Amino acid sequence: MSENELDTTLNLKCKLGMKSILPIFRCLNSLERNIEKCRIFTRSDKCKVVIQFFYRHGIKRTHNICFQESQPLQVIFDKNVCTNTLMIQPRLLADAIVLFTSSQEEVTLAVTPLNFCLKSSNEESMDLSNAVYSEMFVGSDEFDFFEIGMDTEITFCFKELKGMLTFSEATHAPISIYFDFPGKPLALSIDDMLVEANFILATLADEQSRASSPQSLCLSQKRKRSDLIEKKTGKNVTGQALECISRKAAPRRLYPKETLTNISALENCGSPAMKRVDGDVSEVSESSVSNTEEVPGSLCLRKFSCMFFGAVSSDQQEHFNHPFDSLARASDSEQDMNNGSFSIF
Amino acid sequence: MKFRAKIVDGACLNHFTRISNMIAKLAKTCTLRISPDKLNFILCDKLANGGVSMWCELEQENFFNEFQMEGVSAENNEIYLELTSENLSRALKTAQNARALKIKLTNKHFPCLTVSVELLSMSSSSRIVTHDIPIKVIPRKLWKDLQEPVVPDPDFFSFCLPFLRLCKILNLQVIEANLDGELNLKIETELVCVTTHFKDLGNPPLASESTHEDRNVEHMAEVHIDIRKLLQFLAGQQVNPTKALCNIVNNKMVHFDLLHEDVSLQYFIPALS
Repeated sequence: MSENELDTTLNLKCKLGMKSILPIFRCLNSLERNIEKCRIFTRSDKCKVVIQFFYRHGIKRTHNICFQESQPLQVIFDKNVCTNTLMIQPRLLADAIVLFTSSQEEVTLAVTPLNFCLKSSNEESMDLSNAVYSEMFVGSDEFDFFEIGMDTEITFCFKELKGMLTFSEATHAPISIYFDFPGKPLALSIDDMLVEANFILATLADEQSRASSPQSLCLSQKRKRSDLIEKKTGKNVTGQALECISRKAAPRRLYPKETLTNISALENCGSPAMKRVDGDVSEVSESSVSNTEEVPGSLCLRKFSCMFFGAVSSDQQEHFNHPFDSLARASDSEQDMNNGSFSIF
Repeated sequence: MKFRAKIVDGACLNHFTRISNMIAKLAKTCTLRISPDKLNFILCDKLANGGVSMWCELEQENFFNEFQMEGVSAENNEIYLELTSENLSRALKTAQNARALKIKLTNKHFPCLTVSVELLSMSSSSRIVTHDIPIKVIPRKLWKDLQEPVVPDPDFFSFCLPFLRLCKILNLQVIEANLDGELNLKIETELVCVTTHFKDLGNPPLASESTHEDRNVEHMAEVHIDIRKLLQFLAGQQVNPTKALCNIVNNKMVHFDLLHEDVSLQYFIPALS
């Protein structure tokens, strides 16, 4: 995909602003009608990605976009070892999503071997007394594939789910969901003929514990999102690696009984220790904690970090050699990316 | 206190949803009164509402296949609940192709009105959607503020169905009507005064003929109101009324009474002081 004058392939890790790219590919209908060929290449000497559209009658339109080199986040997550796997049509997920208001921050997915339930997160409903609690139960026969290894209830960010659904509606392919126990990441993936996309979401590590005292202190996490979407084309796959770092930070309460379990739960799901999964692939995760927020007389809103990753399933032989180029990332993660490290506060 | 009701008919469900949407547009928070034969959506005339009040009444047997309630006590067999109207209308909106809709009063951590819908789906199993809408139970001592407003002996009233449709287009400020079936809508500014005249509207028979005998039939009663309140009322109209009544109490208020087959809506707008 990338060439220099000598026609050798380079693997370039860079990032481009979505605001630059989106206007170029707007008006899909007119693009399809008028453009005969589109050529995309990089000029690393000038730090530019060049997109050329070739129209009829020899007309050519060229866009030059500057890129920035970056070290993309690499997430390690093997969805194939997850206990629970579902495959659904996007339509079903869209029907479930209308139940919730846009102010809903988290949703909980509860599965048993027989059915599936998407519901408002209990934590949130408890905090806001005017919030409507909604849930939808769907029978397992509505799924293209339904394999549940154990009864699970996991909670994750609703906005990410909505965003992913919008993306999937463009491809019309079914969505696969892979997940395990609470705290372990959840993967939403779409595998079309031309595109494979994986979104890895953090899930709440805590069990649904309630503070009996309204004056409990909580450490709340500042929410941080970074999106990485990786795509591959069917033919030009040079080699991909499954390299992921999953990072999630579960909120912790300074409520005496729960402190210990929370910390240990955190440690169980990817603590700073390096773990070896699947041969050479390693997993590193960090959790970071923000300032204590003390809100006497009311329950704090709990938030947790959540990250989106694209992870491409690996060609087993090539692990570290050719990490895949990511084209774009949401700009709000620029800060930490430039630092090359994970600190966000 | 108990309440459970069920709707299985699609048309009834749609109608109930439309009424709920209308209420959501007219009042952010309202009171739901449940009694053995009726359901009422009530907005009482507090300053917060700008003095506007509303009383909407439904005969429950026109909507629900099953309806059971047990009020606060045997002598006071009613339930008054306060809820955010939009929560109910949004919950009902998800019941578009429902096989059945159930509403009941529950207490899950806090009092709720639980709307439970069984949806048709492609496969053999149906989908079950549940919404728990938080509510506040209104204590009996406050019930007296939530009774049906008494329409003060109006000076003039008329039927005004076409008027409602036109109102959406015009900017109104003054409504005047007389006993001869005429209604005028006026807007007056420094530079211009625009009046729209409606003729041949009906006047319903007056309750007490004697007091009005000597009144000049052509004499107009008028009221100055805040346009926004009227527009808000009209914007919420989703149910086309079969009959619309407009009562004017000279310089005090205007009272609209919309009648549809099985629902009546009364809306009071006070005069600008």
